[in-house]
Amino acid sequence: MNLFRSEEHIERWLDGRAPGATIPVAKLTELAHAWWHDRISAEWRPHTREQNQAILEGLGLTGAFWRLP
Amino acid sequence: MDQRDLELRNLTYGLFVELGRAPTVREVAERAHAARDDVEAAWRRLHDAHALVLNPATTELRMANPFSAVPTAYRVQASGRWWYANCAWDAFGVCAALYVDGRIETSCPDCGEPIAVEVRDERPDDERLLFHCLVPAAHWWDDIVFT
Repeated sequence: MNLFRSEEHIERWLDGRAPGATIPVAKLTELAHAWWHDRISAEWRPHTREQNQAILEGLGLTGAFWRLP
Repeated sequence: MDQRDLELRNLTYGLFVELGRAPTVREVAERAHAARDDVEAAWRRLHDAHALVLNPATTELRMANPFSAVPTAYRVQASGRWWYANCAWDAFGVCAALYVDGRIETSCPDCGEPIAVEVRDERPDDERLLFHCLVPAAHWWDDIVFT
């Protein structure tokens, strides 16, 4: 789960491996805030799989790659 | 996850932020007025529940996601401290968890060139950057350190 300067850098880094998923950093920031915002709250409770899947889907991260087990 | 494990998990995270580093079993036990063995057993259950990550061979914390207990390629300046995050996602997660702006420093895994991103009001200041996730979500926890 890394940051890159461009698609060209990702392709070179993959070096023939099958790519995963690439999203813009602005989308990643939204995802991070939705996913982690409650993590140090004293009221924190474990997220359910359904809650986490809903976070992904709410940001348009759908399809087999983003399907949680 | 029972109520006691939840309390110890939340205390562990609270101490991580208070200390600016991973707390030890002893520190959590002292703060919780609990026996070290009880904290270790709780941490193992929390590890199995993916609520934190222990080193495989010890009872030391490896991750209290999004925070990393060990140095990584993702450094985050936030709340007056430098933190290590487990990955790019977690680096932004440190700012999110602390509810603060911050600065993320890393390097491009391809070319090694430094990358620095300021996070202001939940937005990155350089929107040209890309995030690549190699492992599908179904397998993130198969090997969370690799993921």
